[in-house]
Amino acid sequence: MTGFDGIGALIRRHGGRATKPSAGRARKFRYRWVSVAFWAGLVMLWEVAARSGAMPSYVVAPSIIAITVVQLAADGELWTHVSASLIRVTVGLAIGVTSGTLIGLLAGINRPVERYFDSLISLTYPVPKIAILPLLMAWLGIGDASKIAIIVMAVFYPTFINAYYGAKGVRQSHLRAAQNMGASPRRIFWRVIFPSALPQILTGMRIAIALSFVVLFAAEMIGANAGLGYLITYAENNLRFDMMYASLVTIAIIGLVADRGLRAVRARLLVGREGIAATP
Amino acid sequence: MNARRAIEAVERAGCVLSLLVAWEAIARSGLVSPLLMPRLSKIGSAFWAAVENGDIVYHGSFSLERAMIGFLLAVIIGVPLGAIMARLPLFEAVFEPLFSFSYPVPKIALYPILIFIFGLGSGSKIVLVFLECLYPITINSYFGIRGVPTSLLRAAQNMGASGPGLFWKVAVPAAAPDIFAGIRIALPLAFIVVILAEMIGESVGLGYYISYESASFDFAGSLAGIVAVAIMGFTLDRVLVLLRFHLIFWERFERPDR
Repeated sequence: MTGFDGIGALIRRHGGRATKPSAGRARKFRYRWVSVAFWAGLVMLWEVAARSGAMPSYVVAPSIIAITVVQLAADGELWTHVSASLIRVTVGLAIGVTSGTLIGLLAGINRPVERYFDSLISLTYPVPKIAILPLLMAWLGIGDASKIAIIVMAVFYPTFINAYYGAKGVRQSHLRAAQNMGASPRRIFWRVIFPSALPQILTGMRIAIALSFVVLFAAEMIGANAGLGYLITYAENNLRFDMMYASLVTIAIIGLVADRGLRAVRARLLVGREGIAATP
Repeated sequence: MNARRAIEAVERAGCVLSLLVAWEAIARSGLVSPLLMPRLSKIGSAFWAAVENGDIVYHGSFSLERAMIGFLLAVIIGVPLGAIMARLPLFEAVFEPLFSFSYPVPKIALYPILIFIFGLGSGSKIVLVFLECLYPITINSYFGIRGVPTSLLRAAQNMGASGPGLFWKVAVPAAAPDIFAGIRIALPLAFIVVILAEMIGESVGLGYYISYESASFDFAGSLAGIVAVAIMGFTLDRVLVLLRFHLIFWERFERPDR
């Protein structure tokens, strides 16, 4: 199939490296205290500089940021924005990842489906999908619908391509064996193709989650009336720098938790398969 | 033979063709206001009009310049940073946690702060693009250089290579496919981030053009901007594939003409 080849090789190579066991774990430990001292010193320097009053007002002390996060969380304001953002991202991811994965798997095993989607992927994969955001906002309003739609569009591509290559990489011997033992096409799909493509599907999901946050917060910054991206621009317009950093910290925590969570799920789902995961 | 090829070409174009047909059908049916969903011919003429009066070129050149400067800065700083992290354990200990913790954090959230530091113009956008591109480039260079087979390094050392020669002539070419993988992830990101940042706050650039046209209810003009973005994104990706084909000639997996 044309068009996909470069992207596939990129993912193969990337996936192969990402799960490579780290060779220098021992030497990393030796320098850990240097690292801790360096970053602790930097934060302290930041704190002192911000408190000295010599820095511009947008440099806010880390302690003040922490206090603001706690305050916003305590009076419940933070939760309304967090939940608004999380609902959009969850719905968008659910639709985008499910459709991208299923259609990608189908394209990987079915020639006509593969041909049908070839033009869409090879023509529009390198195109920044967010360009259509203002139009979506005009069509669907600035509420949840336009944000969910743009997340679905952004997330479809990485999940499709990963699922496609996952399905392409199923071993012929496994398929033949299942067929010989009389498995129905449906059973083969769910019991052979899906599990063997799972490492790739999860790689696609990891990209999708990161991308969905970028798109969501940007969309909320452009136009919304709730959500963490909105909170940042609201704080910016009111020159509440402490609030701006507080929402930034919340966004960082959500991004980190989502990524680590998926990594934990991946580790559990692929128990004993890391070797397979490394060479999709 | 030619007939078969033609049929296959139509088959391959299936999805895009059916989307275009669906668009035209909905636009003609009158179910949606023609203002919201202009016909394809109208988008085409709006695109040509914007090309002819120089709007597309004017705004496009701003977007392209910002994306490319930020992206190139990320390459110039990210590749050596990744290489140093891979070679010097002290550097690795200090910077590896920074990258692994802040990698999943959407850097776009920093944009309002960058505006205060670098102003509303190109500066803040270039810095944002730089930050967003730095991660994939640095991390891929880091893993690439770290993954260079020891046998290659030993063989070169046995033949008398050392220092810069060993680094530039052995380690960098061996890691080049990885480094390029990072670059290929970063380039579309650069473009996405520039468009987004221009939509959030700017008075020039394609992102601004699209949201301005859309805000003034000229959706054909807005779609013309989207077409321009699509053409630029696609062309940049093809250029990158071509570059890779000629630069990393020993590991080709894709023909540039496809």
